[in-house]
Amino acid sequence: MNDLLPNLPWSVLFLPLLSAVAIALFTKKNRGLSAGISIGAIVISFLLSAFLFFQYRDAKQIPDTVLSWVSVGNLSVDIGIKLDSLSLLMLLIVTGVGSAIHIYSWGYMHEDRAVSRYFASLSLFTFSMLGIVLATNFFQMFIFWELVGVSSYLLIGFWYERASAADAAKKAFITNRLGDFGFLIGIIMVWALAGSLSFGTLQESFKANPQILGASATLAGLLIFCGAMGKSAQFPLHVWLPDAMEGPTPVSALIHAATMVAAGVYMLCRVFFLFNLPALEIISWIGGFTALLAAVIAVQQNDIKRILAYSTLSQLGYMVMAVGVGGPAAAMFHLTTHAFFKALLFLGAGSVIHALHHEQDIWKMGALKKKMPVTFWTFLIGTLALAGIPPFSGFYSKDAVLAAAFEHNAILFIVATLVAALTAFYMFRLFFVAFLGAPKSDASDHAHESPKIMTMPLQILAVLAVIGGLIGIDTFIGKTFQPEAHAVHFAERFLAPFGHAPMAALFGILASVIGFSIAWSLYANASCDPLPEKLGVLSRAMRNKFYFDEIYSGLIAITHEAASRLADFIDRWIVAGLMVRGAHGTTELFGRALRLVQTGNLQIYAFLFVAGVAVVLYFVLFRS
Amino acid sequence: MNLITLEIAVVILALAVLLGDLWTPVAHKRSLGYAAAGGLIIIFSYSFFAAPAFGSGFNDMLVVDGLSLFFKRFFLVAAIIVIFIALEFADRIETGISEFYSLILFALTGMMFAASANDFVLVFVSLELVSVTFYVLNSFQRNRLASLEAGIKYLILSALSAAFLVFGIAFIFGTSGTTNFSAIHGLLETGPDFGKNSAFLLGILFVIVGLGFKIATFPFQIWAPDVYQGSPAPATAFLAIGSKAAGIVLLLRVLFIAVPQVALHWNTLLIVLAAITILYGNLCAIPQRNLKRLLGYSSIANAGYLLLGFAALNQTGFAAILYYLCGYLFAVLAAFMVISIVTCGRDSEDVTVLAGLNQRSPLLATVLTLAMISLAGIPPLAGFFGKFLLLKAVVEQGATNSAYYWLVGITLIGVVISLYYYFGIIRAIYWSKEPADLSPVIVSWPARAVLIVCAAGMLYLGLLPDRAVQQTQLAVQVLKVNSPAVQIQKEARHP
Repeated sequence: MNDLLPNLPWSVLFLPLLSAVAIALFTKKNRGLSAGISIGAIVISFLLSAFLFFQYRDAKQIPDTVLSWVSVGNLSVDIGIKLDSLSLLMLLIVTGVGSAIHIYSWGYMHEDRAVSRYFASLSLFTFSMLGIVLATNFFQMFIFWELVGVSSYLLIGFWYERASAADAAKKAFITNRLGDFGFLIGIIMVWALAGSLSFGTLQESFKANPQILGASATLAGLLIFCGAMGKSAQFPLHVWLPDAMEGPTPVSALIHAATMVAAGVYMLCRVFFLFNLPALEIISWIGGFTALLAAVIAVQQNDIKRILAYSTLSQLGYMVMAVGVGGPAAAMFHLTTHAFFKALLFLGAGSVIHALHHEQDIWKMGALKKKMPVTFWTFLIGTLALAGIPPFSGFYSKDAVLAAAFEHNAILFIVATLVAALTAFYMFRLFFVAFLGAPKSDASDHAHESPKIMTMPLQILAVLAVIGGLIGIDTFIGKTFQPEAHAVHFAERFLAPFGHAPMAALFGILASVIGFSIAWSLYANASCDPLPEKLGVLSRAMRNKFYFDEIYSGLIAITHEAASRLADFIDRWIVAGLMVRGAHGTTELFGRALRLVQTGNLQIYAFLFVAGVAVVLYFVLFRS
Repeated sequence: MNLITLEIAVVILALAVLLGDLWTPVAHKRSLGYAAAGGLIIIFSYSFFAAPAFGSGFNDMLVVDGLSLFFKRFFLVAAIIVIFIALEFADRIETGISEFYSLILFALTGMMFAASANDFVLVFVSLELVSVTFYVLNSFQRNRLASLEAGIKYLILSALSAAFLVFGIAFIFGTSGTTNFSAIHGLLETGPDFGKNSAFLLGILFVIVGLGFKIATFPFQIWAPDVYQGSPAPATAFLAIGSKAAGIVLLLRVLFIAVPQVALHWNTLLIVLAAITILYGNLCAIPQRNLKRLLGYSSIANAGYLLLGFAALNQTGFAAILYYLCGYLFAVLAAFMVISIVTCGRDSEDVTVLAGLNQRSPLLATVLTLAMISLAGIPPLAGFFGKFLLLKAVVEQGATNSAYYWLVGITLIGVVISLYYYFGIIRAIYWSKEPADLSPVIVSWPARAVLIVCAAGMLYLGLLPDRAVQQTQLAVQVLKVNSPAVQIQKEARHP
């Protein structure tokens, strides 16, 4: 057994890849088998992860397993497995939530023609995500980081015959590449200054010498953060995430709620030691701003998935802000509970969309309580959790974030509380409009509950969304950041928020209640949105996402298009015209002219020969 | 091993081929070539097994050292392959194929003596041996006007250059009283003013003219295209590699064994000649359609590349010359082998005969493509590494004279221009538009073996250059450049 143990993490990592390859190469024709392989792979991965978790739960320090891959000069690139509380937890989230979503996908997607391709991409994604989680060094992380980008491109653009999906996939990929560019430069900077890419070695050298990055520490930190900015969709690179909802709904649940977007936050926590204070300050402000911006936009969206997408953005902003105010443990805690309830909400939304024949406008839903009871109740649990109502999981993790903000930055604390109120508001708005009141369309009038294969994952995730805050996730993560933290009793946990930061807890609950009340007064039994009239221009701006897409496309038109035109001009006229044609013409001309010398006449040859001799003699003997 | 064992063996082989002709029935005369090639292979192998006799003899007229041994083996390899080319070409030579083989062997003897020359008299005699045999070889297709024309042109212009050569030797003898390289070197060493004697310098220049003719360097290149085009392919091949290499080894010996003190002051001359030769050869090759004529201009351009090593005036440059010649040998002989086979039974030698060659014979197409890529100097083939070594040697000298950087620039321009016509040939093979005759080309197994050896040689020299580079560095150790002038230059560079 002990011989087997070191191989287990590799199996966890490579099983999904194996399934992706097997599906792509062999079982493309057989849709059921493809789905079975993919689901089987991730479920086994999950079971192995759970086994690893219990095996290593109490271990103090687990040595990395490292294989040397390439070694060039003094740069050696390793592929390894890092197991600590951080990665163990992420393993469980990715494979666990992933399993639920894989199973749900079969119910949601089984009618699709290309379901094999879907599951192959899903498995590839899982493999890439696990690679990020288990990475021991920046290089490995970057490789899988890019792989995640690619597989998310494949999944967002799964229905590539729809132009909007293809565009969204491109947008997501390119926006991520922008962030990755900074990330890569940051990695190179760290390597150049600290001399290593391995997280373990880096942490040691930072412990020994916190000033190892010198004057460029802030810059390096922010460049690394660029990577997170892309993947976790932070302002100003947030624009891709709402559009990514063009992908199938389970994909949105898996990639754009529970896992991929969490990768940025995970990475920040993984290399938390290399950020200095100014960098953290900026990170926290960006996170706070994103949280607020997205929450405000979410208030006036009408597409059920887009509301959830902006909510995701907002919650990611929360996590990033938590990292910035020095609470990576809080960030990871919130990441975990968020993975539960946001996946639940997306899958619930998917269930509704499925039942209503791909209707996504909340104003065409309504009265689903009776017709879809499981979806209704689980969605309600997700809403309560996200809104931060105790004792649901969201309350505890959000409280941890609020407490961290409260200690470090008063303004950000106010922003965060405001966001909490907005969150409660837009979530209950969504809930009231979509699930309660009178049926607002034919489709919602004739809705039916989704099949078991879809409701079962909902129920599992709902349980997790309820108890996620109480099962000790926070203490478990805490081990990485504060090794001396002690175990807390279950009952103590229940009331813990009121114990250590009563102000934050009270403000949090207050914000939720205010948000809920306003939503109740405006939207209970409403058949159309009263806000646009009240807010006027502001509402339109919110509906149009504050025109970020328009601003960006304008910017691109000014910069990128102009640069392309210039490059095109240079290529067409100067490179191809003047240089290539010119050079070609001149050489050809010379060649033809010199050919005239070669008359074939022997006397002329002899004359030229002697003339050549004379020139050489003159050159050597008389000129020098 | 005696000082001239190898040469004696080759001469005996040549006579044996001539005599064997008497007893060989007409139908089998062609196969005498196999005997000649086999004999040369034995001699070539013998040069490795027998302990070399380094030293000098015949009144210090002839010297055997690393350089001469290197070139003797080089010429032997060239001659072996050329005889195989001649075997493929034999059907087109209506009379006296055995004489053709033995003439190749006599020319080879002349080249091998040239490799050992330590006296201007031997320079002249060995070069004349080479020239006279080539007069015959070039005009061997007596019923083809072009071949006769080539022979006559070569005869007259070669005679002209020989006149300059012998005139130069007379000047040297008249001013120094000796024709021996070592003695002249000694004179220059003891009497510094002697090197400034204009009559003596005139003599050296005339010798360079004579050798420059053999190498086909500007401005003595004028004969090359016509002669290359008109001569039978095996003769052209031997002219391109053997005769050129003989000129190179003699130029190395004259400049850097006999008169290094003078040569060191002539770097500007060498730079200018190299630059013009490279540009001239490459530019003129562009409009050419005839394969052999194109290779004639290419051979001028390659003479220019070889001059880079002379212009560099350092051991690295000399070693690079030897290395480059080896790569050039395989590429050029492979090309001529393919041309001989493809043009069999056709009047035309235009690039159009190559159309569809990749379907007619993949081996021929591949080897010719490799040869062109190597000549164009693209990695990973021998031509690339050779050019790299030559340029490296030139760049090393850059600190002494900025003209060297200009030379590098011009060389690179030349290389880029050459891509055009070398790839024109590759394009003709693979992407010809006109409907081609797609009947398969039959390649005999000896020809196959030779082609594979050439391809392997190009790849080996390009991919694993270490051993060969070491060999060339050992071979050029006898060349003197560490004379006072260079010492002073070096000290000025590293104070």
